[in-house]
Amino acid sequence: MAMIKIGWLFPNTFNLHGDRGNILALEFELRRRGHEPVTDKITLDTKEFHPLDYDILFCPPGEMIHFKAVIDYLMPVRQDLLTFIEKRPLLVTGTSIAMFGKKVNRVDGSNFDGLGLIDVELVENDRVYGDDLYFSCRYNGKEMEIIGNQIQMMDILLKDEAPFGLLHYGYGNTGETRFEGVHEGKAIFTNTLGPILVGNPWLTCEMINLVEENKEIQPFLEERDNQLELASMKTKTDLIAKKESHLIPVSGRVR
Amino acid sequence: MKFYLALWLAKIINFLINLVSRERGTNLPGEKALLLDPQFVRHFKNIDWDKVIFVTGTNGKSSSTNLIVHILRKSGKKVVSNLEGANLLAGIATSLAKEASLSGRLDADFFVFETDERFLPLIYAQLPAKNMMITNLQKDQVQRNGDPDFIVRKLKEVINPDMRLILNNEEPRSRAFDQIAKEVVYYGVSHHSESFKKGDDYPTLACPVCFHDVVFAEYHVDNVGPFDCPHCGYQSLNQPDFLLEHIDFDKKVFTVGDTLFQMPYDLPFMLYNYSAAVAVCESICGVPKDRQALAFDSFKNIGGRFEVLSYKGKTIKYMRIKQENPDTLQSALNIMASDSEDKMVALGLYQLCDFVPHYANTFYAFDCDFAPLVNSRVERYLCFSEHVAFDTANRLIYEGVERRSITIMNSDEIPEIFAEIEKAKTDNIYLITWLSTFEKMKKYIEGGIN
Repeated sequence: MAMIKIGWLFPNTFNLHGDRGNILALEFELRRRGHEPVTDKITLDTKEFHPLDYDILFCPPGEMIHFKAVIDYLMPVRQDLLTFIEKRPLLVTGTSIAMFGKKVNRVDGSNFDGLGLIDVELVENDRVYGDDLYFSCRYNGKEMEIIGNQIQMMDILLKDEAPFGLLHYGYGNTGETRFEGVHEGKAIFTNTLGPILVGNPWLTCEMINLVEENKEIQPFLEERDNQLELASMKTKTDLIAKKESHLIPVSGRVR
Repeated sequence: MKFYLALWLAKIINFLINLVSRERGTNLPGEKALLLDPQFVRHFKNIDWDKVIFVTGTNGKSSSTNLIVHILRKSGKKVVSNLEGANLLAGIATSLAKEASLSGRLDADFFVFETDERFLPLIYAQLPAKNMMITNLQKDQVQRNGDPDFIVRKLKEVINPDMRLILNNEEPRSRAFDQIAKEVVYYGVSHHSESFKKGDDYPTLACPVCFHDVVFAEYHVDNVGPFDCPHCGYQSLNQPDFLLEHIDFDKKVFTVGDTLFQMPYDLPFMLYNYSAAVAVCESICGVPKDRQALAFDSFKNIGGRFEVLSYKGKTIKYMRIKQENPDTLQSALNIMASDSEDKMVALGLYQLCDFVPHYANTFYAFDCDFAPLVNSRVERYLCFSEHVAFDTANRLIYEGVERRSITIMNSDEIPEIFAEIEKAKTDNIYLITWLSTFEKMKKYIEGGIN
């Protein structure tokens, strides 16, 4: 029905956790709805990047050593990115959230400024924490539950921003609150790594519903068969229910 | 005095352990000795740092260490090593205590130690080796390591201009350490019949020098191959110091320079271990290639990744992968894909149970190209293992496998796995799962069910 353009931000620079799965999930759902997905890789060598040429943007998690180079690249289009997230879906996962925040504090005592799209400060941790992540959120007007993994290398300190979700289990932004990620405009910033859109197709569908609304395309009514993903969520929440954990229980966290 | 007490305690513990089993206790003597003398390793006598070789990196540490030690011993050298794979400070302490005299004096030509990359700074502080061979630095054990740069930073704490590095010419991250060391020996592998390319939508990695995109001409194993950064020109050498060439998997031979070597294992992921071992043994230890070639003939790897079982007329080919490590999974997928016969594929990726918290991570499977496997006459897939079986199946579905071709078993029940294997028409079964499940399957067969 329509050509939908996906911008995959810095796929080679940021390639840690099978994040390519998110592109597959978007393309799969777009094709199911009869659309023609076109995915462009945006790299540091892309001569001209115009965010508003795209319907969806995805930025996977990366290594902090690369962030300054990418921030420098994106800074000239900062205003376009702000315009983009007013109406269009941007998905940023894992450590890459840092680039879109105001300030990044590294474990060695150094710090640098981010793009400032969201009013958050990031603090790198001196150790890694990996676990399952399970939370509720609302996107494009729909309530949903998200299951995935988190490899936590930094804490996200929210200032005036709203969290993307409220935790049922997991470390989330700091391990001390129920907050998970950041929600700003139509942008999602989440600690959920890897193919979040494969494991949670209900989120994929809402991102694409939003694209269809933006492009004034007739909504696609045929429901996706999510049996496999629901079964996966069930078995993983079973694991969470019985697992040993050193985290502060979510019920005992502030807010 | 603390050192002597610690040494004698380690020797006594080691003696007692050996009464029970020679296979056990590779860490315990060292652990206890380090409690008595935290600088235990530093206090051994007669270790020439120039003769100490660390073998570190993500994949291939144990195999490379085993091969290096085998070659050196076959060449008449006296070697101290931690062959049992205990690669933390306690494991090295145990090895040294075993070999030392009662006064802590060592008498060896070389000290070759596999070293865990995360603990390298701690080990180096007591044992400042002058030589380090790095296999590769890849995504691995993200629950511990986070990302490869985390490990790069660990190595940078240790690598200094006085070191001699033996580096993989075709692995961009580790090769970039050549900017620090005074002396570098490069090893590599040339094109072979199992070299491969991935689809255009598979990402590569950032250039370690300028952070722009690295381009691989092809892969000899996953994420390792001739590469180039078009932006800054950082690239692999066409002719590294030691290059495996004329690789023939049918005849199980290759050459390095003018020397013909027998391939002990005809597995592509072993090639870089061969190349690295030849490089270390000649450039650091002075063993000529023709002498090394003789040792290759008799090499038996400890704890290899490939085993074969027979079960009710079916041949089960087990390939052990490292969890959270896409490169070892890709190698296993490539081996299955290169088999042109009908096959059944049993995939039990398993939840991560390394330490608390356990978690259900299979996302690394999306880094791997399943297409060659899917296009290689697979009769049926079995996705098993509690909590991850559905995600494993979904990975296959995203590669175009039809749902009806997949049996999903949300459990690790051994009889159920065998029941599914029995249903296959083909006798050619490939199995990927973690070692514990495989050991249980082996016991099940040995229990008289076969």
